[in-house]
Amino acid sequence: MAIIKNIKNINLQKVRENKLYKRFASLKTSCVFLGILVGFYILGTIFPQGASLDDYIKSGGRFTSFVIFFDLLNLFTTPGFLITAFLLFINLTICAIERFLMLRSQRKTVSDGSQFSESFSFPLDINPQLESAEESVKEIFKKELKFNEKACPHTKDFGVGACADSGITIMEKGWSYRWLTWIYHSAILLCFFGFFLTYLFSYEDEITLYPGEAAAIKPAAVSRWNKSWGSKPQELGFKLMLDEFITEYNQFPKLDYPADKLSRLAVAMGWKDPKYILKNESYFPKDWKSRLKVINLSPKSVIGEGKQTVLEKTIEVNDPLSYQGITFYQAAYKQNLKVQVDDNPILFETEVGKELIIPGIDGMLKFGAIRTGMLFKKDGSTEKIKPFTEATLIKEDSSGKREVEKLGKLEQDGGLYVADKRISLREFKEASILSYRYDPGVPVLWWSGVIVLLAMAIRIFGAWYRIIYRIEEKNGRPHLLFKVKTRGLMADEERLIKMVQLSFLNMTEPIDLDTPV
Amino acid sequence: MLFKPYTKNFGAGVNSTMSNLETILSRDAYILSIEIRLYWFVALVYGVCLVLYLIHLITKKTGPGRLATNMLWLGVITHAGLIMLRTFEGQRAPFQTLYESLSWFAWSASLTYLYVEKRWKDIYLPGILVAALSMGACLYALLTRSPAVEPLSPPLQSYWFEWHVVLAFLSYAVFVVSCSIEITYLTIKPSVKKGLRLEYGLNSGNLETFHRQSFRLALFGFPLLTFGIFSGAAWANDAWGRYWGWDPKETWSLITWTVFAIYLHSMSMPRWNKLPASIFNILGFICMLMTFIGVNWLARLLGIPSLHLYAM
Ligand code: HEM
Repeated sequence: MAIIKNIKNINLQKVRENKLYKRFASLKTSCVFLGILVGFYILGTIFPQGASLDDYIKSGGRFTSFVIFFDLLNLFTTPGFLITAFLLFINLTICAIERFLMLRSQRKTVSDGSQFSESFSFPLDINPQLESAEESVKEIFKKELKFNEKACPHTKDFGVGACADSGITIMEKGWSYRWLTWIYHSAILLCFFGFFLTYLFSYEDEITLYPGEAAAIKPAAVSRWNKSWGSKPQELGFKLMLDEFITEYNQFPKLDYPADKLSRLAVAMGWKDPKYILKNESYFPKDWKSRLKVINLSPKSVIGEGKQTVLEKTIEVNDPLSYQGITFYQAAYKQNLKVQVDDNPILFETEVGKELIIPGIDGMLKFGAIRTGMLFKKDGSTEKIKPFTEATLIKEDSSGKREVEKLGKLEQDGGLYVADKRISLREFKEASILSYRYDPGVPVLWWSGVIVLLAMAIRIFGAWYRIIYRIEEKNGRPHLLFKVKTRGLMADEERLIKMVQLSFLNMTEPIDLDTPV
Repeated sequence: MLFKPYTKNFGAGVNSTMSNLETILSRDAYILSIEIRLYWFVALVYGVCLVLYLIHLITKKTGPGRLATNMLWLGVITHAGLIMLRTFEGQRAPFQTLYESLSWFAWSASLTYLYVEKRWKDIYLPGILVAALSMGACLYALLTRSPAVEPLSPPLQSYWFEWHVVLAFLSYAVFVVSCSIEITYLTIKPSVKKGLRLEYGLNSGNLETFHRQSFRLALFGFPLLTFGIFSGAAWANDAWGRYWGWDPKETWSLITWTVFAIYLHSMSMPRWNKLPASIFNILGFICMLMTFIGVNWLARLLGIPSLHLYAM
């Protein structure tokens, strides 16, 4: 057993002395990796990430062969990027281990003490006997200035004569900045782990829900991990039902204000006043909400009156629903409408935003979003909106040029005339579009992010002091010789020195230098 | 949310809903007209400060520098009033549109500068960049953005919203001051070392302490930017169901963060903590500018269609 342990130790030591390992333990290496990552990031903002090559070429993209060769449209999943990120991860891991070992052995404390040369010195008005002076000074540093005494450094590191012999005392106040630095660097490592979990195990898709229908959920995508094992998408063990889809609007008056710079300058000079105008389109989305029910398919989890609903929640943007590790987000909505032409009993169905061809009408009809639900008015009152849409007629000439004519507001059961034909809005149906995602990286990232922020904030904004002092006799009087080291933006060296001086001036035992001791 | 939506009736004695609404709209337009003019006034004050700082640079006299700083105080105090007016106007924290956040950015950069400058005696050079950027930010907002007070759209209705914008833009403001000190230091150092250009208040005795402020400011801004990115990711996770999407705006904020991390690291490396560190600090500042106004500019410059245009 002992032999194995020894071998392990030897190997570890050898590894730590290895050139490559040493390079990976260096701060310079981290800067180089961070720099390479910056290069990738910049490329990633120049080339549209996630775009298909076809779209890229269609919209006039350049450097196509370069883009294909380096896979520049999916830069952040290319081996080049992933390997660099991984190398930084290794670099940070080694740094964290090395620093941990260093912090445990407290070598830093020692190097401060071994080079002791005071920055400040002043006489002490206390009992001139050195030994009792030392006690009183320690007492003041501890009780009045709230310092903690640090362990005396090891003799082997400190050179000839331990710190007790050289009369040095080391005291500290505040949270150890080195440990805090170590903590947030290690938490950054944990963040990397979170990204890794996301990369391997996350998947996402979208589902469209119509009110009153319980929909089974079968994601089209699988996680990278499952894909590499050849797994196929599986239907989830529960269904989702949309009880109601709710839309709400704020009244948002249009601002009559010039766009060109000179006119704006003129407004500033008092030439014209800006004006708010209320128009039909003064509807600003306030909320989209979906009242959802989770229906579990396994009979065991049935609760309440034999129903299978296990969870109910009204979700909206920024307030998703989570169940069995999957989170459902309010992503968008879809509206379908049916219009009647004159008295024809057959209704024409279309989707909002899509073009509809009606025989006998030259051109295509297009309907804007159907405003329905509640309107929150500027004066604080609310109003139930009578559903309506804005209709347009699109005509295309032989050269493919499009002409768009605004037809106006079309209310439910109201009508509009287009080329002598009366178009009426008869029915409409709304569906809620939810995106959903499984991502086990999120909780890891969340907690490690909070640790990074906390430790970094305490380290950087906080205050940490180390004081190293020695009491020496000069001209028959004890003198305090000390130096201060500070870290953190709140640390104020000058104030500390003033406080030290003040504390020693206020000492209760004034000495009478004429009386021989 | 920090503020409740506006629901109070205005215009006592008005009975009909329509005229009530009209009263509200004309009142809103009136407040907006005052606000816009005040914003222009603040931009003008920053402009005057810039001119005075430049006169100080050219004449080497402390008088114009001191006057510029006093003017900057006037600008900052008036600007604080402007931000409060906008808060009252919208009945919410005024950080929603770029029009509003640019105002916050200009104000916090100027205030940070004044706070730091108080520690020095008659050093005014870093004021040039700060006044120029504050004026530039105000003019950019006034000339190109809509001043309309918009209701909060659903994605913005998040408790992350105010803190995300406030702290991220505060970090940008701090980086501006840090960079202006860095540039001043780099340009004046060779002369000061030779005992020249001492009229600007910098000498071999105070040059290094002056320069150290730049590091301290970057250090101050770094956790704020870290929070900005973290809160942005947490917010995106709630609103869009994904904490990171490599959108250009997100990516540029990550670039800024990484460059400042390189800067802070190089400050603790003996061979890198002089000129290389200074260069990293200035690069960080340039990246910061790219983050909030230059996004997609590079792509456009190279004629590459960016399909991820970010609404600003
Ligand atoms: C994503 C990567 C990293 C970030 C964001 C980061 C961030 C920071 C920041 C902000 C500081 C300055 C504040 C302070 O001293 O506490 C710092 C210091 C430091 N970092 Fe990092 N770091 C990263 C990676 C690394 C790596 C890979 C190493 C290992 C070589 C490392 C080692 C250090 C050291 C030794 C210091 C000086 C601490 C001191 O003053 O005692 N960092 N880091």
